[in-house]
Amino acid sequence: MSTPEGTSHYTCPYCRMDSDGSANSCSSCGAPVDIRLKISHSGWAKQPPIKDMARIRFNRSTCQISGSFVPVAEMNLDGQDSVYFSHHVLLHSDTQVRLEAMKMGGGWNRVLAGMPLIMMQAGGPGHIAFSADHPGETLAIPLKQGQSVDVVEHRFLLATSNVNYQWERSGVWFTTQDGDEQEWHYPIGQMMDRFTAHNAHGLLLLHGPGNTFLRDLDQGQSILVEPGGLIWKDPTVRMHLHFEYPRGQYWFSSARWQAKSMWLRLQGPGRVAIQSVFERPEMVGSVVNSSPATTHYW
Amino acid sequence: MDRIECQWCKAQNEQSRTACNTCGAPLDQRNIVSDSGWTEAPRLRDMTEFRFSNSTCQVEGEIVPVAELALAHGDSVFFEHHVMLWKEPNVPMSALNTGGGMKRSIGGMPHVVSVAHGPGRIAFSRDATGELVVLPLHPGMELDVREHAFLVGSHSINYSFVRIKGLANVLHGGSGMYMDRFVTHQEPGIVILHGYGNVFQKSLQPGEKILVEPGGFLYKDSSVAMNTVQQNIRTGLMRHNMYLAEMVGPGRVGIQSMYVHHGSE
Repeated sequence: MSTPEGTSHYTCPYCRMDSDGSANSCSSCGAPVDIRLKISHSGWAKQPPIKDMARIRFNRSTCQISGSFVPVAEMNLDGQDSVYFSHHVLLHSDTQVRLEAMKMGGGWNRVLAGMPLIMMQAGGPGHIAFSADHPGETLAIPLKQGQSVDVVEHRFLLATSNVNYQWERSGVWFTTQDGDEQEWHYPIGQMMDRFTAHNAHGLLLLHGPGNTFLRDLDQGQSILVEPGGLIWKDPTVRMHLHFEYPRGQYWFSSARWQAKSMWLRLQGPGRVAIQSVFERPEMVGSVVNSSPATTHYW
Repeated sequence: MDRIECQWCKAQNEQSRTACNTCGAPLDQRNIVSDSGWTEAPRLRDMTEFRFSNSTCQVEGEIVPVAELALAHGDSVFFEHHVMLWKEPNVPMSALNTGGGMKRSIGGMPHVVSVAHGPGRIAFSRDATGELVVLPLHPGMELDVREHAFLVGSHSINYSFVRIKGLANVLHGGSGMYMDRFVTHQEPGIVILHGYGNVFQKSLQPGEKILVEPGGFLYKDSSVAMNTVQQNIRTGLMRHNMYLAEMVGPGRVGIQSMYVHHGSE
């Protein structure tokens, strides 16, 4: 991050977009300009919350973030701009905003995977606002032309219509056996969303419960994260499961039985974002099958 | 002597005050208004104190705020019994006769509305992240509030409930069958609400309309009409209905940013 003295060039350390840095917040992602980058000793950078009433500019429209516990993203859409969103995040709308369903394929797969079946599109001119239903932060990810990000399901708030939306199997799963019962687990969900800005710059808004932290992984560098904590990653970051079995003194506390940790190994190069609020999966029984995974016995 | 007008409740305050004596809103901060005209409910500072009747209310905490009341002799407040956090043992309690017990049960509203009488201290909070919204009511005002959203009301306010008009509004409005109605007659009063997430307010001009997610609706002046409008959404061969609340002015509308989405099938 920096604005070298005597110049008006500013590169936002969070979204890496350039601006003149004259405003209080980055015009591409809303991150405050007047704060110091906070990086933990291990290399995680805390994504600062977007300040109340900060404005983000995209195409010919603006997005204003208001509130702090459960922020609201209020779009002032130009007549030529539109955004799409999952219908349950709509909070309020001017009556003249055009609301319609967005055409999407793979409806059956979406239903099976528990993803929203209906994606709606809102066309300007007019104001329309969105909010998620959990305390947390709104994350604005401006996408350069051709840039993609992979997002964990149910984190998506909205995107500009020039951002292409695809979803594919996450490829992260395992099964457990407890007595006669076998159970399938999808620690990051069955599907993962991929957003790509095709023809022009685009804007993607996500909702991260709790606080959000970013980190760059070098080529080959890996980190273990709680699967429920992942929000988004660059497509270049590979991921697979990792099981750890702590050494137990007795057979019933040993790991093969139940005492095990399940991690998601993220391997660079690329950027990853995690959230501080997550659901820890219940895992009873032994792991009998899984997607490609590594294992470690202590 | 110069006075400061509170931007939220319009009450007059002495110049030395930093928080409104009537609603607790900070006086040294301007209203925060979005581009489309929604005003953020004032964020009450920790330990802010304001007065109603001869009693005081102190607000503690910010994530799940607590309203701590010091009730004077002769003053009382009413509330849904499960929002009570603590009270001094000597604070007498009684039940408010709301009438319509069967209707309230069917409508999923609390059967018993409790009353706490001064003198003594008693505190209230709800069970989720949110904001307290303090709404002083002048004589002759009527306010409609979504059910289970009010935290506490002062004794001078007449409390009743009104059935939401229109079957479509009841079935698809997401606000339940009934709304709480607070009416002041000769005396002013105060209603404190708990909004989930953040709370925003907009004043609609006569005839002005706005569409609101039904789960986000928090309160409105009774002069604001609420209708449910249906949006037909086609995805391939399937047709879905999405319902939004259309608010028609004149009057204030309050919304909350965290809600359970009710409006589609």
